Amino acid sequence: MKPFEIIEHTADIGIRARGVTLMELFENSARGMFSLITKEAVKPQPEIRKEIHIDKSSDKFEEILVAWLSELLYIFNKEKVFFNSFKISNLNNKGLKADVSGFNAGPRQESLRKEIKAVTFHNLRIEEAVDGFSCVIIFDV
Amino acid sequence: MKVPGVIYANEKLLYEIISDNATEQVANVACLPGIAKHSLAMPDIHWGYGFPIGGVAATDPDQGGVISPGGVGYDINCGVRLMRSDLLLEDLRPKLETLVNSLFNNIPSGVGSSGDIIAGVKDEEEIFIEGARWAVKKGYGSKEDLEFTENNGSIEGADPSKVSKRAYERGSDQSGTLGSGNHFLEIQVIDEIYDEKKAGAFGLFKGQITMMIHSGSRGLGYQICDDYVKGMFGCLSKYKISVPDMQLTCAPVNSPEGRSYLGAMKCAANYAWTNRQCLMYLARDVFEKAFNKSWSSLGLRLVYDVAHNIAKMERHNIDGKEKILCVHRKGATRAFPPGHPDLPDEYKDAGQPVIIPGDMGTFSYVLAGASGSMEETFGSACHGAGRRLSRSGAIKACHGRQIDKELFNKSGIIVRAKTRGTLAEEAPEAYKDVSEVVDVVHGAGLSVKVCRMRPLGVIKG
Repeated sequence: MKPFEIIEHTADIGIRARGVTLMELFENSARGMFSLITKEAVKPQPEIRKEIHIDKSSDKFEEILVAWLSELLYIFNKEKVFFNSFKISNLNNKGLKADVSGFNAGPRQESLRKEIKAVTFHNLRIEEAVDGFSCVIIFDV
Repeated sequence: MKVPGVIYANEKLLYEIISDNATEQVANVACLPGIAKHSLAMPDIHWGYGFPIGGVAATDPDQGGVISPGGVGYDINCGVRLMRSDLLLEDLRPKLETLVNSLFNNIPSGVGSSGDIIAGVKDEEEIFIEGARWAVKKGYGSKEDLEFTENNGSIEGADPSKVSKRAYERGSDQSGTLGSGNHFLEIQVIDEIYDEKKAGAFGLFKGQITMMIHSGSRGLGYQICDDYVKGMFGCLSKYKISVPDMQLTCAPVNSPEGRSYLGAMKCAANYAWTNRQCLMYLARDVFEKAFNKSWSSLGLRLVYDVAHNIAKMERHNIDGKEKILCVHRKGATRAFPPGHPDLPDEYKDAGQPVIIPGDMGTFSYVLAGASGSMEETFGSACHGAGRRLSRSGAIKACHGRQIDKELFNKSGIIVRAKTRGTLAEEAPEAYKDVSEVVDVVHGAGLSVKVCRMRPLGVIKG
């Protein structure tokens, strides 16, 4: 099972993410999103670790998924932290907790190839099949 | 669908339009509560999120009409401005490369770029309320620039208290920055005049050098849209609204949530006009240094500035009755006809300039709003060429090619971009034929063709 793949969209860009569990789907969605921002291998730099708490009560996991990705994107835009490791420890209909880590992308601005404006809800549906979960996420670029 | 969907196209464009999901999106928009007359799509329509890009929808607040942040988009008041000059091609040619390099070096662009025009929290609040007036007050332009900007560069009713802390943060250092993706600054020459009288009214003539700027409200707008799309989910159950796509989440225009969004959206709209004003200031400065003359003696005057991602409360005629409607333009340009009270006096007879950028290898156009737009499209026309290929499709099509070299060798166009990826994504073949798009708008009587510009030098974010 591919953790994520880039899919065609005329104006913007999307990924199809997959996961055996919902947690893995959320982690792979984040990996997919950061793969759009840069493809280059990250050069060794001091690692930056963060704990992410998404406090959002919703019966729709799609809302929590978008909140999670939007939070990571917000930190990236504000602090220029390029995340490449995601570990969700708790996920339910009240939100999630995760440990993420990455590197300062500030000095490497030139290699950032894509500005993601936002994570959209366009036709977003988490689907469950026998082998796990999948969803298509469209990003505004 | 509560109303029919109407797509403006010719046969060739229609084949491209039906090849993606844009038509389904026109149908989805037709389901919005209080939508008036029809869900519209301009000939540059392509698949977006929620609304199609190239979509126009007006809702009637008296009929429960809604406002949808997704119907404006993340880049609130993304738009274009056109600056004219007294320069001719022969004046520019020897300096073109220096100018393009200097523009590229002096105008901050690229992913998450920040600029030298730093606004503190107090300044930012002033920008939200005053828009481009703030820039002129600070010396980044003249009063005349404001006259030739949609809404004079400042829409009334902006409410900074409706803007989140995060949105403030993201806007703080991005004034006077171009951004990335399809945003650009382009030096052009007018190579064809279609309507001498209207061109004359806009101060345009054949052989003249012009400059076009395409940018928006940067991180501020993205964050405001994001906050309100998420915030309005609760409105769906509260106001018993059902939408076919979560990205179409909305609230009645007259609800507290709808009013809050409008107040915040107007802050971003004003920020975007300030941004384009600051970008023009930076560009004028580059021209001044290159020619060793002041911008006014080079005749670097603003022709017009139009928004193409915005929602506006406007007066329109519905079945013989004048109504105030909430007009969403998502990748569509306002195109008011001659005589419209919102036009500057100088353009009252000609109509509003409708500025249509094409791709970086072909042409851009100036049109003038015509009466058909008020009768059929809530005073709107197209906004550009419209994408034909997806971004990854364009990268595949351009694999192994050097787009900048191709453009230079084929047409003498000098292109500078932050990344090679941007060049491939924005390659001319990624876009529809802009000439076909404007011909449809002209033929339908929504706007009238005035002149055509050919690119000479392009700065891509």
